[in-house]
Amino acid sequence: MKQINKLKKQYNDIEIPSELDEVVRQSIERATITKKKRSPVKQWSLGVAVAAVMFVGSINVSPAFANSLVNIPVLGSIVEVFTVQTLTMDKETYQANLKTPAISGLDREGLQTALNEKYIEENKELFKQFKADVAEMEEVGAGHLGIDSGYEVKTDTEQLLSIARYEVNTVGSSSTTMHYDTIDKQNNVLITLPSLFKDDSYVEIISAYIKDDIKQQMKDDGNVAYLTVEGADLEFRSIQANQNFYITADHKLVISFDKYEIAPGYMGVVTFEIPSDILSDVLVGDTYIH
Amino acid sequence: MLESGEGEYFVMTKTEKFKLIETFIIENQESHYRLAYSYVRNKENALDIVQEAIIKALQSIDRLDEIKYLKTWFYRILVNTSIDFIRKHRRVLVMDDEILGGYLPQTEDEQIDMDLLDALDALSAYEKSLIILRFFEDLKIEEVATVLGENVNTIKTKLYRTLRKLRIEMGEEI
Repeated sequence: MKQINKLKKQYNDIEIPSELDEVVRQSIERATITKKKRSPVKQWSLGVAVAAVMFVGSINVSPAFANSLVNIPVLGSIVEVFTVQTLTMDKETYQANLKTPAISGLDREGLQTALNEKYIEENKELFKQFKADVAEMEEVGAGHLGIDSGYEVKTDTEQLLSIARYEVNTVGSSSTTMHYDTIDKQNNVLITLPSLFKDDSYVEIISAYIKDDIKQQMKDDGNVAYLTVEGADLEFRSIQANQNFYITADHKLVISFDKYEIAPGYMGVVTFEIPSDILSDVLVGDTYIH
Repeated sequence: MLESGEGEYFVMTKTEKFKLIETFIIENQESHYRLAYSYVRNKENALDIVQEAIIKALQSIDRLDEIKYLKTWFYRILVNTSIDFIRKHRRVLVMDDEILGGYLPQTEDEQIDMDLLDALDALSAYEKSLIILRFFEDLKIEEVATVLGENVNTIKTKLYRTLRKLRIEMGEEI
């Protein structure tokens, strides 16, 4: 019994890391958020895999169906985004919930079709991959896998539509990947980051701003952390020429990084709003950003 | 702690239930961390396990029928998550440590509690669970049985065998 007590004492001496509190709090928060999102997905009666609940081949076919789903009306415009397809799996320890957005009402059919087809293809591919992973995991025994994808309309004005699509993979811990598309609704063009600027000097200007901002944020708040291990080649150096971005309703450029890309996991997806005045010299025009 | 008398009937809304579980998780987070740590012996992994277990638990609160089983229910999720984690990462971990060593802040894997780790290392994940739950987390035999999904007699037999393996004379305890 003595030895057990000694062991128990050592057990109780296991050091509790200072991050624990924060990790617990964030996990609860995350569970609350995903819970709300997941609630319409009921456990299916047979308890076995149920997939492909809805599939609408062409998004223009049934406006009534579209309206019954998430419908975001736009003031003075008929361009809208709605859920066109939901792929779900809820099978004991395996959960998938994939929502595919679709855009309708753009004048240039080509752009609209291309985007919508891309969204559907991507989610189909994700779901296929997920099913393959589940099959593989079942072969070696039990396990837990989760995938969650969906979208969020970031900006919707007379002029612009920014859609953010997210993909959350849960295997042990989770990783989040974001994709953004920003569309000029009036001219029917898809805006890319390089297309906003005269030349590629923007890469350096934005990178320099983000570097400074990272330093400032870490100085101001001890809880904020980015990957800054000296000499380990991990710290933030530069944005990609086609870095993820969107434009806010008040015409500000926001640069986005995926979870783990430049910061530890608990920081999640990080975004930086770039002040428009430092960009004004290199912008092609001030239509979108000012 | 959250305990209610035998046969007491609890009617609560889902929100109340969620709130209760949340409180339990926050109050007992240190125990949960230690439990996870005993399996993986690494801070980051233990934190990941705690995180995953919480999310899993809160997303499946419908499967917790009576709130008095909260403790064993949560331990079960935590133990399963830990064991899953070990199984999943066994192959990968071997060389990762070497390579990542230079990049990561020093982890205290090595120095801490060699006795405990040595002793527990000799055990399988299942046997570890038995010892930790019964003696370190002070669960009753019945509760250990519920967590591990076995009947009481099986648990007793396995505990004796595990203790013998640990070469610890327990007299008439247990």
